[in-house]
Parts: sequence; structure tokens; C-alpha cells
Amino acid sequence: MTIAGFIARNALRNKRRFLLSVSSVAVSLFLLVTLQVALRELTNPINDEGSTLRIIVRNKVSLAQPLPARQLPTIERIPGVAAITPFSYYGGLYKGDEKFTSFAQFAVDPVRALDLLSDAKVPPEQLKAWIADRTSAIVGKMTADRYKLKIGDRMPFTGQIYPCDLEFKIAGIYEGTADDRNVMFHQKYLDESLGNPGTVGTWWVKASSVEEAPLITERINKAFANTSAEVRAETERAFQLGFVSMWANIKILIGGISMVVVFALLLVTVSTMSMAIRERFRELAVLKALGFRRRELFAFILAESFGLATLGAFFGAGGAWLLYRSLDMPKLTSGMFVVFEVTPQMLALAFTIAAVLGLLSAIAPMIGVARTSVVQGLKTLD
Amino acid sequence: MSPSNIVTIRELSKEYRQGEIDVVALNNISLDIAQGEFLTLMGPSGSGKSTLLHIIAGIDRPTKGICRVQDIDVTKLNESGLADWRNQNVGFVFQTFNLIPVLTAFENVELPLLLTRLSAKRRREQVKTALELVGLADRSKHLPRQLSGGQEQRVAIARALVTDPKLIVADEPTGNLDSSSAQEALSILQLLSKQIGKTVIMVTHDPKAAAFGSRSIHLEKGELTN
Repeated sequence: MTIAGFIARNALRNKRRFLLSVSSVAVSLFLLVTLQVALRELTNPINDEGSTLRIIVRNKVSLAQPLPARQLPTIERIPGVAAITPFSYYGGLYKGDEKFTSFAQFAVDPVRALDLLSDAKVPPEQLKAWIADRTSAIVGKMTADRYKLKIGDRMPFTGQIYPCDLEFKIAGIYEGTADDRNVMFHQKYLDESLGNPGTVGTWWVKASSVEEAPLITERINKAFANTSAEVRAETERAFQLGFVSMWANIKILIGGISMVVVFALLLVTVSTMSMAIRERFRELAVLKALGFRRRELFAFILAESFGLATLGAFFGAGGAWLLYRSLDMPKLTSGMFVVFEVTPQMLALAFTIAAVLGLLSAIAPMIGVARTSVVQGLKTLD
Repeated sequence: MSPSNIVTIRELSKEYRQGEIDVVALNNISLDIAQGEFLTLMGPSGSGKSTLLHIIAGIDRPTKGICRVQDIDVTKLNESGLADWRNQNVGFVFQTFNLIPVLTAFENVELPLLLTRLSAKRRREQVKTALELVGLADRSKHLPRQLSGGQEQRVAIARALVTDPKLIVADEPTGNLDSSSAQEALSILQLLSKQIGKTVIMVTHDPKAAAFGSRSIHLEKGELTN
């Protein structure tokens, strides 16, 4: 027999309790990891290679307010601007989707947009077809796969923001961007359907270099200062973070739930360990009488508690990692979560929490053992 | 102290507080116990016999006085030193056996040896010898719940002697046994004293059990009466 074997034997003496305790840690850490992944997916903007160069120009009052189309030549003339396209969120409901369509539709200038969406890979003939037909669109591969769409198919949408319904003919399927879900169509088609209002949702601008980007945003903002349509230009990153800030309450909510999960977990493990050690007080006194020192008994308790918690983390966090790797989350969540990835940082967090739980739950039993003399311990349960 | 004495106790007292009352468990006890002696401590409940046994075994501390075992004043050792000393010098036999329920008889006997530097092979040999000595070599793989009370107590005796201590202390070892099992356990303790030269100190209420000892002393209200 070895000391490790002795510890394992003690931990497994009440198999049902051990199983339930490990399960409670595992389920709690699984939930915690899931919450963290969801939080990350909701609040962490997806970045691609081109995002460092892109600048979003929106109405200073609100994103919902359109911008005049006549701003285009002014922005185009600003030094450092390499490309520009209108970028209007259509927000239509795709046929068959009753309440929510999980992919966005953007009206752009197809020729100009190509300079901005350099990550998107579209076969040249498809691109040509898209540019040639103003009622056509290109569709992200994820959406095409999900709805089994092919070139030439039609996509009807019911307008939810704009008072017009649109139908696109699929001219191409793109991939290679950080989020291959969107549909891109002609701004002209939207304009015509709305009676040419002379507005766009936002402008997407490409800076000539990363170093120039902050200067360009400043120049654009200045160019429209004190006009009837003042703008707010910001880098794509800043724009995305602005969106993220709208999730603030969700972040607090998920953070709060995570805290509650960890606290409940602490109570469970402390209670389990206290119970397990209280039941063995006399045995621990016998071990002391046989010559085991206090520090050795502490090590037994700590190893047992630590083992229980880390085993729970192994099954909980490891299980989450394995499960989300094998599941098709975009399909399961109707495209709400594109990447549902358990990162190494999340695994580290789960194991750190487990380790701290193991340590904390061992403290009370260790104090109990330290305070109890051999004679007192031997009298326990007598 | 006579060279043949293993235990020398001088003016030993133990007082403790129980609620509002000061209890005198031992009052100025002086006692010598010779090497190889089988001493029985008798007396009514609360007379202090278990307290005296616990002090000699190094699991309790006196309020004052000297308790020297093999030239070491155990009252002066710190907790860690006392734990080491107990492991090397004292074997315990309890009334309720106190075997670890998840360990087999063999593993229970091996437990004190885990604190030594003996190799696994040497440990196995010593455990085997101890179990043979108490007549339970064939029960080595049994868990305590698979043994009778008498067998459990014999495993406990094997555990007490596996480290080859000079001193074996037994606190009412027959209290939970039927007369036949008690007889067996007492015979083993007697054998350990008479033939192997171990010093055995046993607390008992039972005069029949005390008859197995080579000397018997009585305590009453914390004082020796003979």
C-alpha cells in the first residue's frame, strides 16, 4: 500500500457521495465554462485581417439615423482614404424565418466594396455576375450551406427596418471572412425600392495604412462638423466595441450567474469535505496515535479535497471542451454563435477555480483536525 | 531509575477543566514499570487509569510531573517529536479496535510502517510476521467488516507490534469481546510480554483480564491505592 493509495481509498469509501460531489463540481464548472464561452461570443468582436484598416462612418446622433449619400465625394477626397462604400444594414426577415433571421444583409456598392472586403474570396465569374445584376447578391458560405442555397436561387426578404420587401438572385458565394454569414447586395437596388431617398446607413472607409487610420477618422469627423449630418468616424474595432458595450447588462448578468455558480460550488465542496472528515475524526485520531503528524494529516485532507475538485474540473471543463468541439454550434444555435470555442484560458480558469475550491474546502476540516487532540478524537462517536 | 525500568513516573498530576469544575484526573502519581512487565491498571470509571495510560503513551500531557519512557521525558517532546516517538516506541490497542474500514487486515497492519523508511518488501515481511504471530495470516486480505470482533482485535494487536515497539498500551482491549475472543487477545498480549519481552500496560475493569498480567495496580480518584 502507498500513501496515494490510502488517500484514494479514503476518498472512495463512500462511492455515492464521491460520485455526487464530483458530479456537482463537474456540472457547475461545465455551466461556468459554457457561460464564459457564451459571454465571449456575445461580447468579443470577430476580427479579421482587413479590420485594422477599416473605418466606419455613422451618423453622430445615432446609428439608426441615415447619412446623406452626397457625403461620398467629400470623404473620398480626404487624404489617406483608399476606398469607400456605402454600407446599409437592411435587417430583413428571410422567408421561413418567423421572428429572427440569424444573418445580416448589407447594401453596398459592389465595385467599391471589393476593396474593403479584401478577405472575402469570391470566384471572378461570380463577382462579375454580381456587379452586372443590381438585384443580385453574394451570400456567405455558412448561410448558403445552412439553407442549401446555390447560385441562381432567389432569396426573398420581408423588410423589418425599411418599408420594402426585397428579393435577391444569388450571383455568388463568398468565404474567407471572419464571419461568412452575411448577404451583400446593391445599394442601388435598396435606393430604388425606397424611391431614391438619397441616404445610406453608414460609410465603410479603407485607410491607406494602419498608421493613417486615426488621422483619417479625425479628418472625416472634422469635414462634417457643423453640418446638418455630423458624423462619427471610428475604427472598426472601436465601432464593434461600441456594440459590445450595449451588452453591458448581459455581461453583468452572466458574471453574476458565474459568481453564484462558483459560490454554490464552494458550499457544496466545503460541506462534502467537512462531512467526510467529521465522519473520520476518530480514524484521524488513530492515525495521530500511530505516529502520523499533523502536517501529514493535512496533506491527506488537502489531497482528497483537491483531487475531488480537480476531477470535477476534468469532467466539467474537459467535457465542455470536448462537447463544443464536436457539436455544430452554428447549426444548433441557428447561427447565433458562429464559433463556440472553449479557450485554453477558460480551461485554466476552471482548473484554477477547482484548485482554489479544493484548498478552501480543506481549510475547515484541517482546523478541526489541528484543534482536536488524540484523546478527544478517540472519544468521538464513542 | 533502575536500569531495568522502561517507564519511570514521578509526582505526575493531571488536572483539566470540565465546564465550571476543575477535575483532578491524576494526583501526584509515582510509578516504575519494568522492562517486559505486563502491568494492568484497574480502578472504577473516572479513577484516572486511562489518563495515566494516555500520558505514558504520549497522546496526552500531564499538568506536572515527569514521565520518562526509555530515558526520554515524553512530557518535554513537542507534538511532531512525540508523533515520531510514538511511531517508533509505542503500539496501541483500543477497546473498539479502531481499524480503518477501507483497508484490508494486511493494510491496517502496514499503516504504521508507511511512516518508516522500510522498503515495500521489508514492510510486507514485517506485516506477515505480525499477522502470523496473532494467527491471522490467512485473513490478511479481509476487510475489517469481514472479520469477527476477536479477529479485528488480533489485527489491532498485530498493528501495535508491527513496528517492534518496546511498549504496548491497551485500553480495555477486551471490553467489546466475548469471553473466548477476550481470552485469545489476552493470551497474545501475555505471550508478547513473557516470550518476546514487550512491556504491556493494559487498562481493564475485569479482574479475570487483570489476572493475565504480571502486576496489577489500582487507581481511585487519581491516586494509586496499592
